[in-house]
Amino acid sequence: MIDGESLVQRLLSSDIKVDLLTLFRENPGLIDGIDGVAQRIGRKSRAIEAEVKDLLDLGILGKKQVGKVGLLFLQKEKDAEIQSTVVAYLASVGSASR
Amino acid sequence: MLKGGFMTGDSVMLAGAAGTGKTTLALEYLVNGATLFNEAGIYLTFEQMPDQIFRDAAAFGWDLKKLEAENKLRVICTSPGILAEEEGLEALLSEPINEVKARRIVVDSVSHLSMYVPESDLRKEVFRLIRGFKMKHLSPILLWEAPQVIGGALAITDVGMSFLVDSILLLKFVEIESSMRRGVVIMKMRGSDHDKRLREYEITSQGFKLKASFGQYEGLMTGTPTKMSPAQNFSEVVTSAGRKK
Repeated sequence: MIDGESLVQRLLSSDIKVDLLTLFRENPGLIDGIDGVAQRIGRKSRAIEAEVKDLLDLGILGKKQVGKVGLLFLQKEKDAEIQSTVVAYLASVGSASR
Repeated sequence: MLKGGFMTGDSVMLAGAAGTGKTTLALEYLVNGATLFNEAGIYLTFEQMPDQIFRDAAAFGWDLKKLEAENKLRVICTSPGILAEEEGLEALLSEPINEVKARRIVVDSVSHLSMYVPESDLRKEVFRLIRGFKMKHLSPILLWEAPQVIGGALAITDVGMSFLVDSILLLKFVEIESSMRRGVVIMKMRGSDHDKRLREYEITSQGFKLKASFGQYEGLMTGTPTKMSPAQNFSEVVTSAGRKK
């Protein structure tokens, strides 16, 4: 498991990544191809490919193939686990700074 | 109005222009199913995002997140083109159907499929969808955005989909005395002696509320209603003719 600091840096590395995380966390029932996901954050699929790949590598997003389309969806358990790690890290930074 | 409700397993098209209340009525169908009839449901949306649906439902006092947590509902959001993919329906719906043991489904809206499927294939794709739902023992309501020209005649669909479904409910705006009111009529309901009248309805803070028919008016479906005088009332004419004899 990646440490909290690296996770925060990786999750907040771009506006697109923040938009993707917000989109899936506020709409956990979303399951869509990359084109559909991109449209829902006002972008085109090529612009979000790298960020989507990183979120897949982290396990926050999952992917299943349907015909020619790779469907992206939130992996709720992994996302919850990562959020806990981030919260724990931020809490430790907060107490260390006092 | 439905003389007991829709038959289990029957497919229903809920057609109407934007703003007529299709989403509200469809949500109420699922909420009532989950809370009153122990029938869990799935809301399949293409354009409207789930967080917006949760917010809009809360305005009517419907806590959809709570229903999801209780495994009585799933709100699934995807692109219409996914349904047209091989195994698309399975990939999207198998898991949620099994999770909540769904018996009802709403598709919002089937008209979005027309953006992803050639017009010549649309009827075939919708037929496949309906048959897929029936094989999974789901009772579907399919929303259809019917364009309405104020003052003009209304066509429900121009691709023959009215023939595919078992029932059609049409929601429409009617202009009466310079105000926009809403009317609902059952255009088709197989195997049922349903109410044939165009009835007024309101969207209230509790949801869809059915009111009386527009009994004093005729020509509402043409967009140019006229108020009938008492003498034009057919039953009065017949009754008065009987008395004169």
